[in-house]
Amino acid sequence: MIKRRTMLGSAAAALVAAQARAADGPYVVGTLFPLAGPNAEYGTIFTQGVQLALDHLAADKSLSRPIELRAEDSQGTPQGGATGMNKLVNVHAATWVLVGFTGVSKAAAPIGQRAKTIMVNGGGVGPDLSGLSPYYWNVIPLIPAEIATLMPWLAANKMGRIGLVYVDDPLGNSVLKLMGPALEQSGGKLVGSYSIAPSAQQFGAIAAKLRDDKPDAVYFASYGAQQSQIIKQLRDGGVEAPLLTYSAGTIPSVSALPESEGLTFTSQSTDWGSDDPVTRRFVTDWRAKHGGEPSAYNANYYNGTRLFGLLAREVEQGGGTVSGDTLRAAMLKTRAFPLVGGVGKFSEAGDITLPMQVNRIEKSRSVRIG
Amino acid sequence: MLVLQLLFSGVQTGLIYALTAAGFALIFGATRIFHVAHGATFAIAGYAFVAVQPGYGWAAGCLVALLLAVLFGVGMERLVYRPIARHEASFFTVFVAAFGASVVVQSLIEVGFGRSFTSISTPLTRAVAVVPGLYVAPVLGIAAVVAVVMLGLVAGLLARTRVGLGLRALASNPELLRVFGLSSRRLSMLAFAVGSALAVPGAVLTAMTSGLTPSISAHVMLISLAATVVGGIGSLPGAVVAGLLLGVTENLAVAVLDTQWSEAAGFVLLFVFIVFKPRGLFGSALAVGGTR
Repeated sequence: MIKRRTMLGSAAAALVAAQARAADGPYVVGTLFPLAGPNAEYGTIFTQGVQLALDHLAADKSLSRPIELRAEDSQGTPQGGATGMNKLVNVHAATWVLVGFTGVSKAAAPIGQRAKTIMVNGGGVGPDLSGLSPYYWNVIPLIPAEIATLMPWLAANKMGRIGLVYVDDPLGNSVLKLMGPALEQSGGKLVGSYSIAPSAQQFGAIAAKLRDDKPDAVYFASYGAQQSQIIKQLRDGGVEAPLLTYSAGTIPSVSALPESEGLTFTSQSTDWGSDDPVTRRFVTDWRAKHGGEPSAYNANYYNGTRLFGLLAREVEQGGGTVSGDTLRAAMLKTRAFPLVGGVGKFSEAGDITLPMQVNRIEKSRSVRIG
Repeated sequence: MLVLQLLFSGVQTGLIYALTAAGFALIFGATRIFHVAHGATFAIAGYAFVAVQPGYGWAAGCLVALLLAVLFGVGMERLVYRPIARHEASFFTVFVAAFGASVVVQSLIEVGFGRSFTSISTPLTRAVAVVPGLYVAPVLGIAAVVAVVMLGLVAGLLARTRVGLGLRALASNPELLRVFGLSSRRLSMLAFAVGSALAVPGAVLTAMTSGLTPSISAHVMLISLAATVVGGIGSLPGAVVAGLLLGVTENLAVAVLDTQWSEAAGFVLLFVFIVFKPRGLFGSALAVGGTR
């Protein structure tokens, strides 16, 4: 009985402490990224973008309270997403949470909505992420925009017969759902579609089946280490057709893989030579801090964090208290924000609109080709 | 032709599984220690190879991988399992200790190599058409030769040497060891050394074919455990045959099932054995080396 009372007392104390922190302490920004396992590379990339934005917000001293970063490991899974989000809102009292991955987002969104915590996604691209919750926004164009960008390029390059390898999760299934009709509309067709488990590591058998299908190109919808495994094993398995994917192919481990040479992928436009002051500051400081060029994911999570700074300042200047509701009201009032890559415009549903491009990996570097 | 192609792909995968599972089966068969950190041994060997091979060549890469794998395996036996055995050798304690060691290894690999995918690109893994519609990579032949040589050597050691006899006796009749003037401690260390060395070819071949991630040890253990159960607990030849069987089943299943059920098909096989033939293919729990 004593133990139970002690535990209940401790939980209540933690809750009260969290509420007190929320009222007087620093603003808490949470991250819900995969920090271990086969998708951990994304966690590192996403976090780098967040940290640079936090450095800039601290240097600008534009907010009355400091920002504290709290990181939870989503493991890239819906279960991990739900657990991490619960901790971020109930223990850390996070006002703003940066999330990634379609499955994680869908699991975390109801929890964030109950707590009225703003969730900003810069990595997941599943179409279901649009309008997931009034408190859930996307600073990355979603997969319909990526597929719509790819179709004219496929038609121009006379690639009508497409083989598809897709991970059996909300993202992969949405690609399957969108790809067939989109190809038919542009005069092409899906000649074979192969679902894979998120944990699958062997693709030799799929390579054999794809060879039999004789596609003009093979599109794969996966993420993390599995992407590299697919690319390597399809090439090793004698699949010579061009390989295509979406923006998840921008990660360094994919572009560094020799078998990735020629991999074509869509992404939002990234002009790191832009004169726009926000982009220039981001790129200059990125190069100084990390060396090399940033990726679109780095920019997205920088933007996701910068957006918090812009909205919180607007709320503070209006004499309000920073909360999910006041931040949302500020977003809906302004809609357009100076972000990396130019002015980001948000729809009523909280989706950003950005120009798109087609890229190819040439000598381990991403080159714009369309 | 597709079925034949899938069979060849399955044999290639299965040979790697067989080499992976053999070390675990040998260690468990001889010492009865549930060496969950065998997956970490595999990861250490694979990453050592990836670190050394590009700069110093294949031989140096394999040698360093072998050295580190054996050091880790023996280190686990001496520094983790033996102290536990001195106090209380419960299965759970050993499991948690080994699991903890695997997590530490995974974290160290993440610190040293990053969290992303890594592999060795080589023309040896590039499949070429040997007849129209049938693609085979040179690595299949290499895996077959390596498996035959390595497993033949270990089988020879176990069947024809005094030390091998001692290893077989270690699990079943340690008292007998004293009669023969053998030390159970040294034999236990030897089992870990040989079992860990057996993980090296599988790790090197995996680095070349499907690549490595820091969390690969969990997958390695899943395969090792499945092969050990299907083959017959503690049976080295059983683990080898079962590893092959799992690889072939995974690949052939794709001919009739949706591709995402490929891995699951291997584990359906595992359940079938657990339910209908719980002693596994080679039946005896003490059949290391194929003899009693």
